[in-house]
Amino acid sequence: MKSKINLVLKKELREVFRDKKSLAMMVLVPLLIPFLVIGISALFNFEINTSPDDFNKIGFSYEFDFVQKDMAKYYNLDYVVGNEKSLKRLYEQEKIDLYIIKKDNTYEINYDENNERSAQTVYLAEKFLNAYKKYLQEDLLKNNNIESSNVLDIINISYKTMNEKENNFYVNYVTSYAFLFVIMAITVSATYPATDATAGEKERGTLETLLTFPIRSKDIIIGKFLSVSITSIITGLLSFGLALLSLYYSNRWFPIYKDLNILPNLTTTIITISIIILYSFLISGLCIAVASRAKSFKEAQSALTPLTFICFFPGMIADMVNLKTTNLVALIPFINHIQIYNDVNSGNINILHIILMFTSVIIFVSLVLYYIIKQYKSEKILFTD
Amino acid sequence: MIEVKKIKKQFEKVNKKGKNTKFYAVNNISFEANDGEIIGILGPNGAGKTTLLRIIGGIMTPTSGEVLYNNTPIKEKEIEIKKEIAYLSGNTKIYNSITPYELMEMCLSFYEIPKEKRKEKILKISKILEMDKFLYNRISKLSTGQVQRVNLARCMVHDPKYYILDEATSGLDIISSQIILDFIKEEKKKGKTTIYSTHYMEEAENICDRVYLINEGKIIMSGTPKEIKKKTKTTNLRDSFFKIIGGSYEK
Repeated sequence: MKSKINLVLKKELREVFRDKKSLAMMVLVPLLIPFLVIGISALFNFEINTSPDDFNKIGFSYEFDFVQKDMAKYYNLDYVVGNEKSLKRLYEQEKIDLYIIKKDNTYEINYDENNERSAQTVYLAEKFLNAYKKYLQEDLLKNNNIESSNVLDIINISYKTMNEKENNFYVNYVTSYAFLFVIMAITVSATYPATDATAGEKERGTLETLLTFPIRSKDIIIGKFLSVSITSIITGLLSFGLALLSLYYSNRWFPIYKDLNILPNLTTTIITISIIILYSFLISGLCIAVASRAKSFKEAQSALTPLTFICFFPGMIADMVNLKTTNLVALIPFINHIQIYNDVNSGNINILHIILMFTSVIIFVSLVLYYIIKQYKSEKILFTD
Repeated sequence: MIEVKKIKKQFEKVNKKGKNTKFYAVNNISFEANDGEIIGILGPNGAGKTTLLRIIGGIMTPTSGEVLYNNTPIKEKEIEIKKEIAYLSGNTKIYNSITPYELMEMCLSFYEIPKEKRKEKILKISKILEMDKFLYNRISKLSTGQVQRVNLARCMVHDPKYYILDEATSGLDIISSQIILDFIKEEKKKGKTTIYSTHYMEEAENICDRVYLINEGKIIMSGTPKEIKKKTKTTNLRDSFFKIIGGSYEK
């Protein structure tokens, strides 16, 4: 018996490409990615470039000696001197970011960790006080005829970067989030065609028409699944292309990425595209499974809303807690694609993990399709009346 | 020939106490439709007509009993038999985003009609159902009557042997209804079998060779329109129906 999957697929794709809402979901969602990627880069850049000059207003409860005056100049400190009460008032009036109270030999930094300016200024205050401490230590050692470097620099600590990209916090952050946005775009854009092809078709009464044709329910499901997958892949690739473009311009525009190449290499790009395609198949199958149980378009949309969150939150949380990719993690859907992307992006390509992810997705998609085909034999699912 | 043998269809519904109860939407219905016959299935809303026709059309499975097409049970060769069926109901809607031409082209591909024969078939049916003027317009732009004609065209464009028509003229204007009724009569002349459900008694009287009056899932009377009128001593099927229903209620 001749399979009619290609005919159902053709019909479904024609509907998607002629439906303004489906097209809008497919194209408009990816268009948000440049705003997000460039926005994050711009925010980092702003923070980096403004912190040294901007967070420097400190109050002191004691007068500076000439050494401290020199250091204050060196560290670009905008300082005031007063008693504790007056300094507290100045802080409340936001004229200073924090103040330091000297009690005997203790210098107490008064700050508020919930106030971003205050929290940022702590670093400068610490730098200033440590520099003054070192000066006093050197002076004391010198007065006792001891070479200060023999005591203070008894060991030397140096740093060498093994992987330029991996060790750059901003590059890691922005590339990881760019991929997460791509995943979000695929998820959001898969829900509409999936709903339209199942609950929407049921609500409009065209599903009953389709059932009158000499087509096996398996062909109908696979045709629908492939059409949703194709639209999701288009969204995914469009999103990924726009993410790359955004990273390219962020690299050129923002000094935080100076002398770095934040764009993925060819191997990373190819593996990322494979992950995008795999994820598109997985999410399309799940969206169809959930939406096909609904009796109306609205009911399907409500049912799919939690799914869209479930799809990217586990991966996001795993990323936040720095979860290590093990063989087991590589098998868990919704976590494995983000984990493996992060590994590949930081130069750690583990072929076994990639194979496990592929296997896991194939098994899950097969199970989901089996479930939907079974559902399409149930009259409760097929007929709304 | 279509044979409907002891068809039963059970559904569940929730009663007033919130408990699931079972009921028969179709209860032990049997009849035959010979080649070239138009069989009318008549009854009020909720009588079980749509369920019965869905089972005959192979889009619903009966709880018990079977439907045979030329002695072959539909469940044994569902796909092959569906190629010979034209199924149309008030519930079978069509795709709005395409044109009638594209719709029929799609249907013909589902029925495995060779590409080179499709255009000829589409233009032929389009002429019969007077669709030439809107053949290339989007279905979303058509009137209700035009849409129903397109719906009829899409299910008969492949030249089927059997027509299963459920409330095919429901909600249509007189002209569109007449076009459909004339078409059914023409197909009868070619030896095609039609099972036609309606609650328009005059329509059934006009085109059906035999009718089955059903209520609450059961056949309550059958015969030619003439026989039924004679049995119930009425002058039209509408009065016959009311008389039978009234009688059954009195019982």
